[in-house]
This record gives sequence, C-alpha cells and structure tokens, in this order.
Amino acid sequence: MRWLGPQQATTPLVQHILLALLASGALLYLLHRFLGPRGRRALIVVVTFLFGLFFGLEYFLPVRTKTLWPTGLPNTGGSAGNLLTPGIEPMSNILAVIGAFTVGLGVYSLVQVHGRNVLRRRPGWHNSLAFFISFLAMFGFGLWQYSLHLPEPLPPTLTPLQAFANNGYEFLFRGLYAPLQAATFSLLAFYIASAAYRAFRIRTTDAGLMMAAAFVVMLGQVPIGAWLTRGLPNEGVIALLRLENLGDWVMRWLNSPAQRGIALGVAIGALAMSLRVWLSLERGTFFAEQK
Amino acid sequence: MTGTEIAILWAAAIATLGVYSILYRENPVSRLLEHIFVGLAAGYLLVTTWTQNLQAKWWAPMVDSGRWYWVFAPVIGLLFYFIYSRRLAWLARLAMGIYFGQAAGVYFREFFPLYSPQIWASFKPLRPIFDAAAPPVSVSLAWWSVVIQNWLFVAVLLTVMSYFIFSVPHEGKAGRALGKSALMGRWFLMIAFGAMFGNTVMARISLFIGRVQFLLQDWLGHYVHWLAQRGM
Amino acid sequence: MADLSANSARPEIGASAPGFWSRLQQIPRYYIYLLLAMVVIWQILFPIFLPITPSATTRGLEEAIRTVPEGKLVLISADWDSSTQAETGPQTAAVIEACLRHHKPFVLMTLAPPMGAKLAHNIASEIAKRYHARYGVDWANWGYKYGTSNVLMAMVKDVPKMVGSDFYGQPVKSLPIMKGVRTVKDIGLVVEVTGLAGMTEMWIGLIQGPQGVPFSAAYTAVMAPGYYPYLDSGQIEGMLVGAKGAAEMEVLIARPGRGMAIMSAQSWAHVLIMLFIIVGNLGYLLARGRERRG
Repeated sequence: MRWLGPQQATTPLVQHILLALLASGALLYLLHRFLGPRGRRALIVVVTFLFGLFFGLEYFLPVRTKTLWPTGLPNTGGSAGNLLTPGIEPMSNILAVIGAFTVGLGVYSLVQVHGRNVLRRRPGWHNSLAFFISFLAMFGFGLWQYSLHLPEPLPPTLTPLQAFANNGYEFLFRGLYAPLQAATFSLLAFYIASAAYRAFRIRTTDAGLMMAAAFVVMLGQVPIGAWLTRGLPNEGVIALLRLENLGDWVMRWLNSPAQRGIALGVAIGALAMSLRVWLSLERGTFFAEQK
Repeated sequence: MTGTEIAILWAAAIATLGVYSILYRENPVSRLLEHIFVGLAAGYLLVTTWTQNLQAKWWAPMVDSGRWYWVFAPVIGLLFYFIYSRRLAWLARLAMGIYFGQAAGVYFREFFPLYSPQIWASFKPLRPIFDAAAPPVSVSLAWWSVVIQNWLFVAVLLTVMSYFIFSVPHEGKAGRALGKSALMGRWFLMIAFGAMFGNTVMARISLFIGRVQFLLQDWLGHYVHWLAQRGM
Repeated sequence: MADLSANSARPEIGASAPGFWSRLQQIPRYYIYLLLAMVVIWQILFPIFLPITPSATTRGLEEAIRTVPEGKLVLISADWDSSTQAETGPQTAAVIEACLRHHKPFVLMTLAPPMGAKLAHNIASEIAKRYHARYGVDWANWGYKYGTSNVLMAMVKDVPKMVGSDFYGQPVKSLPIMKGVRTVKDIGLVVEVTGLAGMTEMWIGLIQGPQGVPFSAAYTAVMAPGYYPYLDSGQIEGMLVGAKGAAEMEVLIARPGRGMAIMSAQSWAHVLIMLFIIVGNLGYLLARGRERRG
C-alpha cells in the first residue's frame, strides 16, 4: 500500500483529490444554504427514487432483444444485457465502499458513551477504560499484524517484533474475542432450561399442540429418538412412526407449509413497505422533514 | 504447544468461566468481560473494514491507480455522520435515501426469483398420477404420499394464510367458515412453532456443549490426556 | 438488566401453604443450571454413542457437492461468528471435508459478520493440512466482503473484480484456483453456512434464482425450520440442520468430528429438557388441584 510522501503532495493526483474535496464541500454548502426544507425533502425523494429505479429497472427491462439492446456491453461478462446492466457492477462496488465508511457510526457512539464515563469518573468507569484498552489493542494489533502480510504457515525466521504482533493479535482474537462471544451466547442454554421448567405451562389446546410437536422434533433430531423406536420397520407407512422419520415428516409436511404461509404474507407486506419507502410515502424518524 | 498457545488457552478458559459467573449473579468480573468484549468487537470491525474492503477497493484504486474520483466515496459515506448534528441532519438523510432506495430496488429484483418458485411448488398434485413407464413401488405408498401428504400440505398452507386475514369479521356464514379455517390455521401454526421451539432447544444446548467441549477437551485436556480423548 | 439473583422467583400458586409440588416449582434456578451442566459434562466424559442416520436433507447437500461439475468451484459462504460456532464450526468443517474428499476446489467468503472469515480460515487451514491441499490451488479464502447484496450483485458479471484481494491481501487474480472464474456461473455450487437470517433470501433472490447457480445451506437449528419451504421448492438443494446436520455429514463422509461428539450430550440434554417440561407441568397441575381441594 502506497502512502503519500512529501514529494507526492503536489502531484496531479493530490491536486485532483483536493479540488474534488473543495468542490464537494462547496456543493454541500450551497445545497444547505439555498435549499429550504421543501427543497431538501424533494432532493431526498428524488435520490431515493432514482437509486431504487436503477436497481429495479435493470432487472425488469428486457434483455437478449438484439434489435433493441446491444450485446457485448462492458461489465456484462460478454452476455446480453440492457442499457443499465453495465452500471450494476460498478454501482454495487461503489455503494459497498460508501457503506463501509458508516462502520464508524457505531464506534463513535460507543466512544462517546464510554468516554463520558471515563472523563466524569462515573461508577464503573474502570469498565469503560477496559473498553478503550481492548478497542485500541485490537485495532492496533489487527492493523499491525495485517500490514506484515505474514505467510501461512508462519516461517521460523520471524523477527521478535513480527512475532509479537502476530501473537498479540492471535491472543486477542482466539483468546478473548471468540471465546467471550461464544460463552455469552451459550448462556441461552441455561435460560431455555430454566424457562422449560418454570414458564412453559400447557394450559390450552394450542400450547398442547405446540409442546407435542416440540417433543417429537426434539426426540427426532437426536440419536436417542431413533434408538427408542429402533424396533419399528424401516420401510412402509409404519416407518413414519420411527421418531427420526416422524420428526422429519413434521418438519416437511406441517412446519414447511405453515412457514411458507407466514413467508408469503411477510413477502407481500415487505413488498408494500418497499414500495412506500421507494416512493418516500413513509413517515417516521428517518423520513420526517427537518423542523 | 508454544507459550502463546497456552496463554490463549488459559485466556479463553478464564473468559468462558468469567462469563458463566453471571449465572450465579451479576458481578464485577462478568461486567468487565462484557466491556472488554464490546471493545474487541468494535476494534475488530474497524480492522476488517479497512483490511478486507477499503484498502483494496478504495485506497488502492485511488492512490495506486490514480483514480482520484474515488474521493467522492468517503464524502458521501461521511454524510451519514451528520446525523449527530441537528442543523445538518438532512444531509445524513440524503445519504440514507440512497440506501433506502437501493434496498427497495433490490427487493423488487429479489421478490420474483425468491417467491414465485414458492408459489409454483405449492400447487402439488392432488391425485396420484401413475406413469406406466415407472410404476410406483407400492400403490398404497403412492396414495399416502399424494392424497394424505399433498392434501395436508395444501390444507395447512391455505388455513395458515386464512388465519392472517384480519380484515374480514368471523360473522355470517362465510365469516364463520373463515373463522373455522383460521382456527385450524392457528393450530397448524402452533405445531410449526413447536417444531421451531424443538430446534431452538437443540441450538441453544449445542452452544453450551461446544463450550464444555472446549473447557474439558481443549483446556483441561491439554494437561490430562484422557480428557482430550473423550468423545472422539 | 434482568434480575438473576436466586430469590427472584415469584411463586404463582400454593404460596400460603406450599405442598411438595408447589415447593418443587419454586426451587432456585441454580439447581436447574447445575443439572443441565452435570448431564452435559457426564456425556462429554462418558459418552453413550448411538447410531446416527443421515437424513434426506443432509444427503441432498452431500450429493450436491459430489455432483459439482468438473472445473467449477464450490463457494462456501461462512456467514457466522463465534456466537454460533458450536454448530456452524462443525458444519463448515464437514462441508470442507466433503469438498476435499470429492476433490472439489473450494473458496471461502464471508458477507457478514467479519469474524467468519478468520474462523472459517482457521478451520480450513487445519483440514487442508490433513489432505495436503494447497492454498491458492485447491482452496482459497476471499475474506470478508462488506456490502451483502451489493457484493452479490457485483459478483454476477465479474467475480475477480468484486473480490479484489483475498484474505491475505494478495490480488485474487494471481491465485491459480481463480483461473477460468470470471462470472458467477463459473461457480458450481454455493454452500451458505450461517446463523444469520436474511442472507439466504439474498443468495436465492440475486444468485440462485436469476443466475441458476445451485445453492445449498447449513443453518443453525434455530433458523432451519424457516427454510424448509425453500427445500420443498427446490431452491435449496440440501441442508444441514445444526450440529446434528454436521454429525450426519461426518457419518456420510466417514470422518468423525466435533459434530458427532456433540450428539451424545445433545440427546441426554434434550431428554432432560423434556423432563423439565413434564415435571414442571405435572407439578403445576397437582399443585393447582391441591389448592382447589384445599
């Protein structure tokens, strides 16, 4: 990765970049200064509509109609496309890059909250300090280790600094980050066991049906269920009474259509919601006009 | 095992046991570990965003290949940060508008490839069609698989979908028929939720078993060979 | 934050004159936790192995891998992190083993979360050593690619450009395994291993459906029920369900691993959960009956 040095500071690249930044800043200033609330909303509506239109229209416009649309377009892998097809790949790449800059939003929020705790010495501020230490440690060691581009397997001729960088990163990742996350989520096993004993009460037909299905599936998914019904034949309709087959049958013939019914309903709802968002008909925190 | 590997093993074990201490009651150790976890996660997110994406897809084209126009990417990306400013928040909404529009457009693209096969697959044959070239192994099985299973599939699907029709009251002849269908649909939904619960139990228990395997076979198993051999 | 202290139980019934069943329902939750831990530890230390029969869904995935056309890749999308590692780790290992057993070159990729790229890489490196599989020739890791649906749309027409650099930061075009891989149609099978809902819909909606690239998946047990409709419609060719799916795949490829090791403990833990539900409900009914009579 090339860094810009003092000699390069006045190269055309840097000049172009600086000019572009100045132009962007000027444009944003002018937009902010001269567009009123209605103008701003109109701009947001137009931008939302155009981006939705581009991605949607590219899918729906016909392809392979040689009289109307040319083949051999760039960025199409040599296959036929419509006029918008060459734009999909670069646009997707650009949006992926732009989106990557938003990761700082969450980090900024965390730094703000924990920073206040540390600066004002609120109760538990040492935990917030631990947050900063672990954050900077992972960030520092992560970038350092990556910059070394160490091959795998590691060569025996690593310098002490290289070894320190690699070991530090591995310690933070495999020694702390991964096990902490795994252990935190594994607590759910205890909570579900506790809930099974204390909270699940079969008071209605619905609850009874739910528990019956749960029992069948729980036993059918594990070897002990197959072992319990090992005496039943493996062929014919009776084979369905073997717990592993019964569990699979419940999943395919009762669960599957029910899930499909839910999914189709959700799909139509999501389609309607997408339409509303695309046409900026939605109201709410992110869609409200600036007051 | 090297010294680093042993340190990693012990750190992982202490972290795991420290998190489990919350099962007794909330305590300073578990709270500290929570904060450390959040810090590590935030740091790792930044590292991977740079190393796995921005460096190759943005910095290299801009600086190494001289494509200066890539500078507009952070300009637009950084507009999101204006959400913290009351006066300039509209600029953040402008950037969000790009992604809301894109998400809607992408959903329009995804909808038909995703759901039309679902609809086609719901039209199951409701009577067995015997092909003379490939007769069924057993006529009773064929009847079972088609008449019982396919009919059941379609009935479950339709009754479940009828349950979600909330705009028609369950009164009058048609309404009561819909009400009965919706009741059946609710029962089938309960069966589906029971299946989901059974799977959820399996998933959660697996997570805990994974941690116990680590503690017994990897951590303690490093010192007691017998433990490392368990279950394998 | 939820109150996890021992005395937070609120007795529902029988508080004034608790009988045995009422008292049984009010036992501190530590005993429940302890019982679960004891059962799991018992089975890890003294496993009772029972036969595992691969299900049709697992066979479907194994067949999908086995029938990948010559010259095409298997793309394993490792969209998981250590929160689901107990399930998705063995699943990823089983899928990689199946690929190497059937001599199918594979590439790893992660759309979300970022951790998946390294975790899957560690697993693949370990297994590749056993099969003497060479990085860059028999397998590769494209790394974490931010952008989910944007990544998928970009890879349709130009895979190397979308990928850019691999997990190590080297240009992916320089890898021998990428020779002949231009568009997404040069991928013979996509196997998504994930604990995140929503990823499959993107793969099917943007890649499997429009481009006709075969798709299979390995899910955590929690999310698997929601994807049976896709199995029914043929959009998903085979599926691993949780650790059980990993165990079944290990049986199919005759390579015991962590998946099979989990299943004995899993069996007895399920029996314990069922006992909890039965005893809890029995106690509830009997205590309620006693209260009504009293």
